[in-house]
Amino acid sequence: MNRRTFLKVMGSAITGAAAGSLIRPGVSGAQGVFDDKEFFGILIDTTRCIGCRRCEKGCAEVNYLPIPDISEKANQDIFTKKRKTSVTEYTVTNLYETEKGKVYVPWRCMHCNQPACHSACIVYALEKRETGHVTWDKRCIGCRLCMMSCPYNIPQHVFDEPSATIQKCNLCYGRFLQGIVPGCVESCPTEALMFGTRRKLLEEGKRRIAQNPGKYVNHIYGELEVGGTSTMYLSAVPFEQIGLRTDLGLKHYPEYSQVYLSAIPFIAGITPIAMLGIAHVIRMAKKDAKKEEHHEEEHHEDKIGH
Amino acid sequence: MNRKLLYFAVGVCYLILIIYGLYAVYTVEATLRAKEVPAIKPENKIAIAHTEIFGKLERPQVIFDHKKHTEAFVKEGKKEWDTCDTCHTVEQDSLIFDFPKKVVKKDKTSVMNAYHDECIECHKKRSSENKKSGPVVCADCHKEKEKSIEVKYPVFEFDFYVHDKHVKKLKEKLGKDDCSLCHHTYDIHEEDEELALVYEKGTEESCYYCHELDRKRGPELAAIARVAAKKGLSLKTASHLQCLNCHLEYQKEAGKAGRLKEDEKEAGPTECVKCHTGKYRTVAELEKIPRPDRDQPERPYINIKDAKLKGVTFDHDYHQKTHKNCRVCHHETLKACKDCHSLVGKPEGNGVNVARAYHDVFSEHSCEGCHNKKKSEKGCFGCHYNIAPMDVETMGPKKESCKICHSGEIKGPLSRPPLSVAQLDPEKVKKEIKIKVLERQYEPAEFPHLNIIKKLVDISNKNKLANYFHKDIQTICEGCHHQSPAEAEVQKDSPPYCRNCHAVAPDLQNLQKIRLLTAYHNQCMGCHDAMQLEKGSKLRSKEGNRCADCHKVKEKGPESITSVKNFPKDPWKYPWYGGMER
Repeated sequence: MNRRTFLKVMGSAITGAAAGSLIRPGVSGAQGVFDDKEFFGILIDTTRCIGCRRCEKGCAEVNYLPIPDISEKANQDIFTKKRKTSVTEYTVTNLYETEKGKVYVPWRCMHCNQPACHSACIVYALEKRETGHVTWDKRCIGCRLCMMSCPYNIPQHVFDEPSATIQKCNLCYGRFLQGIVPGCVESCPTEALMFGTRRKLLEEGKRRIAQNPGKYVNHIYGELEVGGTSTMYLSAVPFEQIGLRTDLGLKHYPEYSQVYLSAIPFIAGITPIAMLGIAHVIRMAKKDAKKEEHHEEEHHEDKIGH
Repeated sequence: MNRKLLYFAVGVCYLILIIYGLYAVYTVEATLRAKEVPAIKPENKIAIAHTEIFGKLERPQVIFDHKKHTEAFVKEGKKEWDTCDTCHTVEQDSLIFDFPKKVVKKDKTSVMNAYHDECIECHKKRSSENKKSGPVVCADCHKEKEKSIEVKYPVFEFDFYVHDKHVKKLKEKLGKDDCSLCHHTYDIHEEDEELALVYEKGTEESCYYCHELDRKRGPELAAIARVAAKKGLSLKTASHLQCLNCHLEYQKEAGKAGRLKEDEKEAGPTECVKCHTGKYRTVAELEKIPRPDRDQPERPYINIKDAKLKGVTFDHDYHQKTHKNCRVCHHETLKACKDCHSLVGKPEGNGVNVARAYHDVFSEHSCEGCHNKKKSEKGCFGCHYNIAPMDVETMGPKKESCKICHSGEIKGPLSRPPLSVAQLDPEKVKKEIKIKVLERQYEPAEFPHLNIIKKLVDISNKNKLANYFHKDIQTICEGCHHQSPAEAEVQKDSPPYCRNCHAVAPDLQNLQKIRLLTAYHNQCMGCHDAMQLEKGSKLRSKEGNRCADCHKVKEKGPESITSVKNFPKDPWKYPWYGGMER
């Protein structure tokens, strides 16, 4: 086991174990479909993104975050470094130099079908909604187990508040309840971000791949990765080149901890009894030994007596 | 006491283990860095390595300087053409460029011994005769510093220019055309192998067809190529045999007659680098050169019996002048396409039927494959990146474009009159358009409609392919006003606007139909990108000035770019917090 897999397994195992009795199954049978309702998601076509960062501004507006400066002058500096999502930026756009030139890639919560953060959260603050949204709220106690468990490093911790909580993209669940697409999708001028049901998005992604032979990599990132995600990517270059991790495997993350967690009741229940048993055997053995010694002595005395 | 001894023993064991561990750490073999292979100029040198027989070499390879050896003979007063047989075998008056002569078996020891015997013996003999001689000790040939040198000759292209030169020279010499000097065919059905190699006028073909051994061929040619392979006549061997023998012979002739000081000028080069120059002629340079005459039709009318579509007039003359060789289209033999590709497909044509032979989009030899490649050139790609080729699954391909080729006219037009914007009605076709449907933060984009049409028409007129296929000016309109349902339109000659199909709001049920804002951006920027324009392009525009290429920011535009907030500002009032059922 190398460091990577160790962290991957232990990340969700330890967090799960700490939760104790609060552990939820976190695993639903069908992928993408939940009680007749469908998962929604975003399809990101990186060949269409023009790097205008309007999605960042739109996101900030609808979520009461500090409005970023997206003037093209500011963009020049911004794209020199690779940014990560933060409590003030639920979505960020990065620039990657690839074999086919510059590619802009918007980056936000992947909204996994089986989120590791959800199964790690001990207070029900992170939820997987039946429409695919992974939301957070004020129940968060700031334990940061979700940060540890997320394979994409998405949930970020607020450090400058007394009651520290986790914040991340929630796929504009509030807007969704009102029947409106997410802020980033609304403000995208080229529809590089496309909102819809996950099924339709996959259909559309596959259509684009089929109808533009040679343009795309023949895979939709997020269709199968970590058990499927709601944020999906289309790309003209291999996904590693645009900063998407391809080493995560296809298993969903709660499954890694399931084996460990299911063993806990067994170990916790059996161990004391087994220990007692062993102690008993040792005690009995000791008693026997003493008795025998005693017996032998008696025997000896008997002989002398004769 | 005993316990102390035990501790001591264990301690010593650990110490030994630690020492071994450290030793192991420090003696890890460093991973070998891949050495850069120094590429040297070939300069008539030959690398003798035979890795296919020897595998990993015990001694460094030998870099053999061929010119040095021939020059040594010439200096002694011998003529160059007389010196070849010192090292090379002569068989039926022609040289076989193999060395060494006496390889009994193709295995390690016999090949090695053959080289050593022949080289060293000659060197020894010469030094005993007090002539200038070569090395006899191992390291003088197997030089360590030449271990990883790679000698690579660029492929020689026997293009139409060289072919034409040969034809003319031969005619000068012989007084008539004689193609049999180089061209031959192999009769696979002939039982006597001696007689199998024949020449028949009108069957001349490229050497590649039979002698390029590592390519997959059809059943008949595969059998011939197998014979060639058995005789070891790869393209390299065969062409060296053919060219050099002939060149040497003419050198001899010219030299004996004492006609020229520099024999090669008349008789063709025998030195490696004089053919393998690495320079290639372009299509434009070759355009004026006459193509070899093999009774090919100038403008054949291709009409397949029982075919569904009408016949096609094919301008063979034009197409052969825009290619460097015949193999680009005639990939297997110089026969007509329909000889191997029938309506259903024959084994000779590998089961490919005639429709696919002409229309395969992904083939290098088919009409449509080649035209498709042309369509991805800079000028054309602006519209054509968005127009799927006919044979790929498309959203309703325009079937009427079939009849541009399938006209059924035996003498169809070679080119059409150039398109002109003069026919356009200035009432309908606006000169400039202000796009203000979506005006919000930005000023309306000013769109130079007529100028764009003019530019596209200009590109189309200059390109022969475009000129032929863009039948009328409406074809140009379709570049942007795509998927026009012309038959059902009320106003037939006015193509639809973007907003006629693309709505402002996104359609979650029909993701394929993008919204209006996207339609504008993707259409304009996609074209600008594909045509590699500086302005209005996603990647080529100057950073910091991209949006302003098309529209300026409004001074008093709205601040917000979104319509509705995600949730109340106070997280305790989230509609789903606490109140929502899971």
